[in-house]
Amino acid sequence: MRGVTPAGAKNGWQTVNDSRTRIAVELCGDKPRNRMPVDSFKYLPRSIAAYYQTLRADRADPIPWTPLSKPLSQCRFALVTTAGIYEKGRDAPFDAEREKREPMWGDPTYRRIRRDVAQGQIGASHLHINNRDILADVNIVLPLDRFAELETEEVIGSLAPTAYSFMGYQPNTSEWRERYGPEVAGLLKDEAVDAVLLTPA
Amino acid sequence: MPVLAQTFEQAGLNTVLVTMMPYWAEKMGTPRTLGVEVPFGHPLGSPGDRAMQVMIIGAALSLLERAQQPGAVSDVQVQWPQPPDEARKDWQPLEASPIIKMIRDQAQARAEARRQET
Repeated sequence: MRGVTPAGAKNGWQTVNDSRTRIAVELCGDKPRNRMPVDSFKYLPRSIAAYYQTLRADRADPIPWTPLSKPLSQCRFALVTTAGIYEKGRDAPFDAEREKREPMWGDPTYRRIRRDVAQGQIGASHLHINNRDILADVNIVLPLDRFAELETEEVIGSLAPTAYSFMGYQPNTSEWRERYGPEVAGLLKDEAVDAVLLTPA
Repeated sequence: MPVLAQTFEQAGLNTVLVTMMPYWAEKMGTPRTLGVEVPFGHPLGSPGDRAMQVMIIGAALSLLERAQQPGAVSDVQVQWPQPPDEARKDWQPLEASPIIKMIRDQAQARAEARRQET
């Protein structure tokens, strides 16, 4: 657990040493796939699960890879989610109205979210999930508080000033690939980010 | 979201994707995937449950630190606080999404057309 639970880590982070997490950790490294006990379809209605299983994936080959070049305690992290959240009063919601008119279209743009945003400033415009829990605690999709704690405890080097939010319903990902993905990658690098935690909704 | 992981990794960033759909992440070819069995909209756990959030994030950081090759997959076991049937309903939007509505409307229209033919 080197790096994740450094000497002197305070309450909470030691829990990553519990046996369940240790099992998870031992599965990766040189032998990344011994088993896959996570059932991706457990919480899906049967019709949507069946749909997913027929979808053809446009698989990346080779899978892009950047080796980690320094300890986590020296890395600057950024958070990126596709939960469709935004800062109320500062940014517009995602374009749900167009999606209602054109159900095969999803807003491919992104929103910036400041690391010190208050919970009450978070808005959510994802039409495919119930946004109630995100509006109660944004950390379930964008863990700003948890990463601020990791920064204080020096488990990570720092948390970048800006996080990014996309809207995850994208029947066509070409705008993400060609425009918005590279654009956000550039913004992350402008803030000297090394590593990114990605969380879909 | 695997597309964003690929794009960022290509740009020289290290990424780790925490997902309730490792099936899809793996199919798409994602640099580092942590699977977690939680309802949609809750990749890092329950609202207000700091311990669960800490555990999932800790597992993601461990994967980031230890993965040696692209396509690395790991998982973390969590105990979801609701029974599966309740959780399966609870994450879904109160109003059906536009695509689900469209599919239902089309099915209804086909059924209606069949009724009129007979």
